[in-house]
Amino acid sequence: MNIVVLVKQVPDTYSERKLADADHTLDRDSADAVLDEINERAVEEALQLQATHGGEVTVVCVGPDRATDAIRKALSMGADKAVHVSDAALHGSDAIATAKVLAKAVGTVEGVDLVLAGNEATDGRVGALPAMVAELLGLPALTHARKVEVDGSTVKVERETDEGVFFLEASLPAVISVNEKINEPRYPSFKGIMAAKKKPVSTLAIGDLGVDAGEVGLGGSWTQVTEAAPKPPRAAGQRVEDEGDGGVKVAEYLVGQKLI
Amino acid sequence: MSFTESEERQALRSAVADFGARYGHEYFNAKARAGEKTTELWTEAGKLGYLGVAVPEEFGGGGGGIGDLAAVCEELAAVGCPMLLMVVSPAICATVIARFGTEAQKQQWLPGFADGTLKMAFAITEPDAGSNSHRLSTSIRREGEEWVLNGRKYYISGVDEVDAVLVVARHVDDKGQRLLPSLMIVPTDAPGFEFQPIEMDIVSPEKQFTLFFDEVRLPADALVGSPDAGIGQLFAGLNPERIMAASFSTGLARFAMAKATDYARTRKVWDTPIGAHQGLAHPLAHCAVQIELARLMTQKAAALYDSGQDKAAGEAANMAKYAAAEAAKDTVDQAIQVHGGNGLATEYGLGALLGATRVGRIAPVSREMILNFVSQHTLKLPRSY
Ligand SMILES: Cc1cc2nc3c(=O)[nH]c(=O)nc-3n(C[C@H](O)[C@H](O)[C@H](O)COP(=O)(O)OP(=O)(O)OC[C@H]3O[C@@H](n4cnc5c(N)ncnc54)[C@H](O)[C@@H]3O)c2cc1C
Repeated sequence: MNIVVLVKQVPDTYSERKLADADHTLDRDSADAVLDEINERAVEEALQLQATHGGEVTVVCVGPDRATDAIRKALSMGADKAVHVSDAALHGSDAIATAKVLAKAVGTVEGVDLVLAGNEATDGRVGALPAMVAELLGLPALTHARKVEVDGSTVKVERETDEGVFFLEASLPAVISVNEKINEPRYPSFKGIMAAKKKPVSTLAIGDLGVDAGEVGLGGSWTQVTEAAPKPPRAAGQRVEDEGDGGVKVAEYLVGQKLI
Repeated sequence: MSFTESEERQALRSAVADFGARYGHEYFNAKARAGEKTTELWTEAGKLGYLGVAVPEEFGGGGGGIGDLAAVCEELAAVGCPMLLMVVSPAICATVIARFGTEAQKQQWLPGFADGTLKMAFAITEPDAGSNSHRLSTSIRREGEEWVLNGRKYYISGVDEVDAVLVVARHVDDKGQRLLPSLMIVPTDAPGFEFQPIEMDIVSPEKQFTLFFDEVRLPADALVGSPDAGIGQLFAGLNPERIMAASFSTGLARFAMAKATDYARTRKVWDTPIGAHQGLAHPLAHCAVQIELARLMTQKAAALYDSGQDKAAGEAANMAKYAAAEAAKDTVDQAIQVHGGNGLATEYGLGALLGATRVGRIAPVSREMILNFVSQHTLKLPRSY
């Protein structure tokens, strides 16, 4: 079974994340970049499926040159090869523009049975990309998976959202996005790290995918960020001295906030 | 010349740091205080190949160098999990066997070092021959097909949790004359071998032991390599030990530094965070300089060792170990100072580092003996002893 995992490099959630003043895109220099944690889970799931069903795991990434670090991490975990789409024209692409490029990039991998992705990146948090890619590829989308089981040419997924748990089934090929509960990603072993450098990464520009520069980037995106303001710092809390009536005071506060 | 480590080395560091952080200092301290071992951590690190990075690939290891092993040791210490046995088992014992062991010895021992399933302690120090390894009196004599070992060692780490101890002992001839040293692999269950713990004021899962060898009979292949190999193979194992000890110290120093700076950035007793006071900031900055210099020297020593330059590596490894131990001692001291009373509270985990960082100034070779080495070998000064 050949699996493609869509991975993204994001600013480390521990570092301070900023938008560039000029065009409100992510200021990539301001923060450490890492492979998005949810993608590590997607890679882990792919490797587990590969262990039982065989085939190849290919990592597909759209991102600037330095996203190679995130790709290497996925390869060091055990993925076999990678496709990296890097092009200055992609700067500022929104979810739809990115999905178009990803769908084309997935198309360069032969005999794909399954496309795995994280359900939502920790930076943009749009959470729509896996469904968009599925739509563009004409494949079923099974999102928010907390469990994935492949049996022959069908795949069963437990989909968990705030509304509840859904039991989904689709025929392969399909696109699946995973949530935090799916698994615990492995740490790259030393051998995995040493092998990663020798694994093939094909670096493509959008021209290689037949994508026109007008369809992507800030200009080609359907959505535009017109204004951005940093979140106001959290206001100092209110201190309550407990003189035997602490519980009552806390309850009064919550009532005042219409929380209870 | 490059002053940055390879991409793989950096990836290894970040993988080990992520992995170690899942255990962390609280886990480590809780184990140490309960008198337990950090077995889960060791086992998992072994499975991931982190403990066997420097074991040759043909024996299941990672095929990397001491620089890789030192990176693992440093990153684990930097997240609060200093692994004393890493300095001994994979660094000294595996290196000596890989470089000087017979083919059969390599087959027998190296795969276990590669995945961490085998642990070996190292015993050179003796009650009457501490810093002076020329006075070693632990002896071996040949009887038929066997070696017979007699003597005593002390301050030997981790003997209760290892499979065997690599013991430095000297051959004696018929007249009782002491000759060259050899390295003997002594299983911890060998008849005639006993060990007793030494009570220590160090918060560490690894215990220290006094060892007694009374007519311990060992098979011919317990002797590593050839009987006349002499002191050279001993030194081959001691350079990695020093590089590892240095990494252990720089890791601990980074751990303490991170705690100190976090605290200094947030703690306020007047209007500014305490880190704004130069009385605290400058000593921390000084420690930061010491740590970086020590790390650089450690990486140089590892690079020299890994490129086969034993002699140059010896000087660099000694200097690195000296600098790293001083950096760790100063940083922990300053981190405690920055924390005020909290610095000595169990909860903050810094007091527990006092003992661990002092070890670096005493073992595996004391700071005075390193300064002696530099005086004589680097500066060509006469010796006093
Ligand atoms: C926690 C811990 C773990 C250890 N683990 C191991 C282990 O696993 N295996 C092992 O073999 N050993 C181990 N050791 C022993 C360690 O290597 C020795 O303690 C160290 O080499 C010093 O020897 P000593 O304790 O006999 O001190 P001594 O040799 O008695 O020295 C005492 C003091 O005198 C100074 N001194 C001695 N001679 C001179 C001189 N010529 N010039 C100037 N100063 C001098 C020393 O620097 C030191 O400050 C460990 C020690 C500790 C504390």
